[in-house]
Amino acid sequence: MTTATVDEPVNPAVRSDGLVIDLHHVAKTYRGRIRALCGIDMQVRRGEVFGLLGPNGAGKSTLVKILMTVIRPTECRGTMLGEPVGHKATLAKVGYLPEHHRFPPYLTGSQVVDFYGSLAGVSRADRRHRTGELLELVGMKEWAKKKVGSYSKGMRQRIGIAQSLVNSPEVVLLDEPTDGVDPVGRRDIREIVQRLRSEGRTVFINSHLLSELEMVCDRVAILVQGRVVSQGTIDELTSDKRRYEIELAAEPDAAAAYFQRALPEAIRHGEHATLTPPAPGERETDRAPPTHSPLTRRVGYHGQLATGEWLEIDHATLRIGSTEPATIQPIIDALRERGAVIRSIRQNRPSLEDLFMQAVTDPSTGATLKPGADRARKGRTP
Amino acid sequence: MMMRQTAALFVDAYRELNSRKLFWVTLMLSGLVVAAFAAVGIDKQGFTILWFRLDFIPLNSDILSPALLYKTMFLSLGLKIWLAWIAAILALITTAGMIPDLIAGGSIEMMLSKPVSRIRLFLTKYAAGLLFVTFQVGVFSLASFFVIGVRGGEWEPALLLAIPLVVAFFSFLFCMCVLFGLLTRSTIASLLLTLLFWFFIFILNAADGALVQWRSMAEAQRDALVRQVAQAEGNTRQLLIAERRSLGEELPEDYHPTEEEVAGVNPFLKGLRDKRASAEKTAAQAAKWSGILFAAKTIVPKTGETIDLLERTLISMADLEALTGSSDMPRQTTVDEQTAEVEFSQYDLSMRSATILRERSVLWILGTSFAFEAVVLALSCVIFARRDF
Repeated sequence: MTTATVDEPVNPAVRSDGLVIDLHHVAKTYRGRIRALCGIDMQVRRGEVFGLLGPNGAGKSTLVKILMTVIRPTECRGTMLGEPVGHKATLAKVGYLPEHHRFPPYLTGSQVVDFYGSLAGVSRADRRHRTGELLELVGMKEWAKKKVGSYSKGMRQRIGIAQSLVNSPEVVLLDEPTDGVDPVGRRDIREIVQRLRSEGRTVFINSHLLSELEMVCDRVAILVQGRVVSQGTIDELTSDKRRYEIELAAEPDAAAAYFQRALPEAIRHGEHATLTPPAPGERETDRAPPTHSPLTRRVGYHGQLATGEWLEIDHATLRIGSTEPATIQPIIDALRERGAVIRSIRQNRPSLEDLFMQAVTDPSTGATLKPGADRARKGRTP
Repeated sequence: MMMRQTAALFVDAYRELNSRKLFWVTLMLSGLVVAAFAAVGIDKQGFTILWFRLDFIPLNSDILSPALLYKTMFLSLGLKIWLAWIAAILALITTAGMIPDLIAGGSIEMMLSKPVSRIRLFLTKYAAGLLFVTFQVGVFSLASFFVIGVRGGEWEPALLLAIPLVVAFFSFLFCMCVLFGLLTRSTIASLLLTLLFWFFIFILNAADGALVQWRSMAEAQRDALVRQVAQAEGNTRQLLIAERRSLGEELPEDYHPTEEEVAGVNPFLKGLRDKRASAEKTAAQAAKWSGILFAAKTIVPKTGETIDLLERTLISMADLEALTGSSDMPRQTTVDEQTAEVEFSQYDLSMRSATILRERSVLWILGTSFAFEAVVLALSCVIFARRDF
C-alpha cells in the first residue's frame, strides 16, 4: 500500500440533507414473478461507509444494479447524488465495481483503468496521471503492462477497484469487493475504503463477509428476501443487545447447575428471576444438580431478571442484557458464594454476524431462511 | 465527453479485433488475392501469369482489353467470390462475438454503469463492427484500384464503390447477427443463425434467378413465335396474292386475303398460331410468378443485387453485349417454320435476363434493404434498452 491519494475533493453540496442515496419504495419483480426487491427504503449519507448485508439472493446486487442502471426497477422513487435513479449523466460521478466483473482479457491493467475512465468521461490528461496513481494505490503497478487475462482473481479485484476510482467518484459502490482476495488484499481494500472515507467520499459496500463490513462500516442495512429488515449504525442496531457475559470454568452441566441455584426462578419459569442467597450453613455439595434438569437437556435457555433484563444461558456462559455494571454484581456474588469459578466476565455487544443471524432466523420456527428471493409465487429464477 | 466515449469504444473494438488473429489472416488473404490479380497479364501475344505465357488460353488484348480483363476479374473473383463470400464469412466469424461479449455477465455491468446511453452504446458497437469491414474492404479495393490502374491502364474510381456496397451488403447480414447475438447471447448460435438467414436469402435469390430465366425464355419464345407468325402470315399473303394475280385475277393494291384463305394455303400456320397462343400464356404466367417473387423479395435485404450494383456501374450494357456474344453467335431466338421448334439464342436469353435484372431500381435494391436493416436494428435497440442484465 502506498501513500497515493484518490485526490480531487468531493463536492460538498450534494444535498441539503446530506443524503447521497435516498431510496423510497424500490421494487423489482422479474418476469416469472420473482420478487427480488419488495419496496426498499434506504438512506446513505454523504461521507459514510455504508454496508449492505444479506444472505445470497437477498437482492443486494439487484439493488446496486438498479442504482447503476444495469437493471430497470419495477418501481423506484429515489435519488442518487440529487438526481433520480436512472439518470445517466450522474453516473460520471459514481464508481462501481460489479460482483462478477469481467474485463476484456486483451487489455492490460492500465488499459482497463484508462478505458473505463474514458467511458466515464475522464479527460485523457486526467486519465494518464490517475491511472498510474491508482495502480500504485491498489498495489498493481508492476503488473500494469500485463494482460488482464493473465491476472489472478485477487489481482483482477484490485484492478477493478482502481477502475472504480478513476473518475474521482463522489460515491463508490463496491459489490463484494473482497471476493477471492487474500487476507493481505482484504486489509489493503479496507485501507482504501478508509482512505476514501477520509477524503469525504461515500462508499457503499455489498458483502456477505460480515467481519469485513464490521471493521469499516459506519452504517449498515440488512436485506433479507428483498426487504430491509434493519438499518442504522452498528451501535444503534446493537444497543438493545449489548450485554455482559459471565463464563464459568466448569462443564456445561455443572455450570448450568450453578446458574440454576444462583438464579432459580429465572431458570425454572423463564421469567422474573430472583437471586436467592444460600441458606445458612448450606454447602455447594449439599445441593447437587438434578441429573435430568431441563437445563442439562436444553442449553440456550432464555429468561428474565426481576429487574427486567433478559438473560440467556449458552453452555457455560451466562449473558445478561445490560450495560450497567451494577446489574451483574449480585449475580457474581451469588455465583461466587456457591463456589463457582468464574473464568471471565466480558462486556460485549453482538457482532454483525449475530445481527445477521437474527435477521435470517425465522423467530417462530428458529430455522434459518432459505437463500434466494421471495418465491411466494412460482416462476423461474432471474 | 461523447466524442471521448465514442473514441474509446472504437479503440476498444479495434483492440478486440486485433486480439483475434482472424482479422490479420483476412487482411493477409486479401493481399494475396490482389497479388494474384497483379500476376495475371494480357497483351497482343496472349495471356500471361507472372512471366509464364499461357498459350492454351485463346485470349489476347485485341479480343479483351486489359482494363476489361481486370475489371471482370475484380468483379467475378475479387468481389463476388472473395469479398461477398469468403471474406464476408470470415468477417462474420470475427465480429459475431461482439454483442455476445458485450452483454456477457460481468462485462455488461461495466459498460452500462457508465454515463453512456444504452442505445448509443449499442449503435457504437454496431458501427465498430462495420468499421472493421470497411477497413478490410477499403484496403482490398484500393489495392485493386491501383493494380487495375497500373496493369490495366484504366484508372476507374467507380471501383471504389465496392467499399460502400460491400459494407452495405455486410450490414444486412450483420444486423441479423447482432439481433441473434442479443437473443441467444451466444457467438456460435448467432453465427449459425446468420448463415442460415443468408442461406435463406440465397435460396430466394436462386428461385428468383430461375424465375427470371424462365421468364426470359418464355418471353424470347413468345417474341420469336409472334415474329414467326407475323412473318408467315405476310409471306403467305404475298404468296396468295402473287398466285391469284398469276391466274389473271384483278386484285386491288390494298387487297388483304381473309384468314380462311391464308390458312387454306399455309397448313403450318395453325400450328404456329396455337404455339404462339400457348407461348403468350406461358410468358404471362412467368411474368406473374416472377412478379410475386419480386414482391416477396422486397421485404428481405437484397444481398446479391447490392453486390451486382457494382457490375451494373462498371460494365455498361454495351460492355456486357461485347462480353456475352461472339460475332458468329445468333442474336435472336428463332422458330423453325415447318416444325415450329424454337431455337434459343444464348445471347438473347442473357441479354433479356440482364435487362430484367438491371431494370430493378437502385432505390428498390438499397432502399428496401436499408429499411429492413433499420427495422432489425430498431428491434435490437428496443431489446437492448429494455433488458435487465
